[in-house]
Amino acid sequence: MKRRHSAQTRDAALRRLGRANRWLIAGSLALTAVLAEVAAQAFPGKSLHGTFTRGTTGPSANPRGSGTGSANSVELHPPAQAPESAPEEESDRSEQPAPPAESSSQEPAGRAQPSEQQPAPAQQQPQRSESSPPVVSGGS
Amino acid sequence: MLRVTDPAALAPARAAVELELAAIDRACSRFRKDSELTRLNARSGRPVRVDPLLVDALEIALGAARLTCGDVDPTIGRALELAGYDRDWHALAARGCEPAARGREPAARGRERVARGLEPAAPVTVTARVRPAWQQVHVDRDACTIRVPAGVRIDLGATAKAWAADRAARSAARAGACGALVSIGGDIAIGGSAPRGGWLVRVTDDHRSDPSAPGQTVAVLDGGLATSSTAVRRWSQRGAAMHHIIDPRTASPVKSSWRTVSVAAADCTQANIATTAAIVRRAAAPAWLESLGLPARLVDWSGRITTLGGWPAPAPGAVQLRDASGSGPAREEVSPTGGKARAA
Repeated sequence: MKRRHSAQTRDAALRRLGRANRWLIAGSLALTAVLAEVAAQAFPGKSLHGTFTRGTTGPSANPRGSGTGSANSVELHPPAQAPESAPEEESDRSEQPAPPAESSSQEPAGRAQPSEQQPAPAQQQPQRSESSPPVVSGGS
Repeated sequence: MLRVTDPAALAPARAAVELELAAIDRACSRFRKDSELTRLNARSGRPVRVDPLLVDALEIALGAARLTCGDVDPTIGRALELAGYDRDWHALAARGCEPAARGREPAARGRERVARGLEPAAPVTVTARVRPAWQQVHVDRDACTIRVPAGVRIDLGATAKAWAADRAARSAARAGACGALVSIGGDIAIGGSAPRGGWLVRVTDDHRSDPSAPGQTVAVLDGGLATSSTAVRRWSQRGAAMHHIIDPRTASPVKSSWRTVSVAAADCTQANIATTAAIVRRAAAPAWLESLGLPARLVDWSGRITTLGGWPAPAPGAVQLRDASGSGPAREEVSPTGGKARAA
């Protein structure tokens, strides 16, 4: 009789222990999920797409917008509008809107380093951009 | 060069540009004895208190190095000096370029073509003592101090010119309350609103070229446009052809598969970072530029053009077929499929 009682006590204790284990596991999983969410909100990271590997992909462009105010904000973004074919390179020039008046000044040739940058005297005559030569972008 | 959409705004816009450029020149010039950068380079190895403008410029340059994994590196100043670029470009050009090729023997003529940028240069090892050190540069923005590792010299040529153009264009647009375009050595920045149809820009090898030089004319509406080329700013050093774009990993002028790379970006600084990195990255450049969505035009040494990211394809009739020197064969081609060529 006494032996039977101790077996029942043991089985009950084991059942309580199993239930406690299940609750512990469920609780730890829930806590892990909550902590992960909190950490993700507090420390946002970069997506895998943004990881840079030399020679294959670049620093992924975040949503556009930031300029280059400091090292932390230097990013590479495309312009809002890509360059377009110039009017003289298109077949139907009559469809081009008339450009506004503009004024220009020419810099001296070959002055390129920061130490060399000085704008040259300006030409004050306004011109229509379609009659003024294009600005040249080239190596320097 | 400064252009504005409103002629009445030219005077204030020009004054703003001059002010901006003078300040940046005073802070960032490697050739001025009284510049902040010269003072910093002379005191490498210890923290130096500098003008906040130089802090900004160096942070931009270090950001470029970070973005490009060191392909655009501001700590290559010593490598440039060892390559012979140790003085103002005009003084260097007067000293270094070999005379014209006429009447010279074939080998000398070949060197001449390399020096003039008509052919790629053979790789030249300048020194093994120069190591990239951009990760060891320490900037304390709050204290306005910079510490450069001992023996390292900073050169901001890859970013400061374009950054100056960006700042100048913004200042001009603000001062004149108009649209403004500023071009500094071919690095072009747009401030304010562009005129209807955009600013016309001729993209070519050399920013000193005539607007009719071989290349392509595009209309730029915003942001910035930069072009880097290994065909210009070249000189000879002990018989070897040199140019100004250094591969930080070899500390010598890069032997790129690209002669000229042009990129449009949200501003000129970003565009110039991309063009310089593209030259250094050689064949990997198109995929990299495409992954960033940057409109780009790359010209290889055979004259073949690759356009990416929405860069307008050159109209077949507008393709220039003239050597940049005026003496060589006709060399600028686009693919028959409308210019969307891929470099082999």
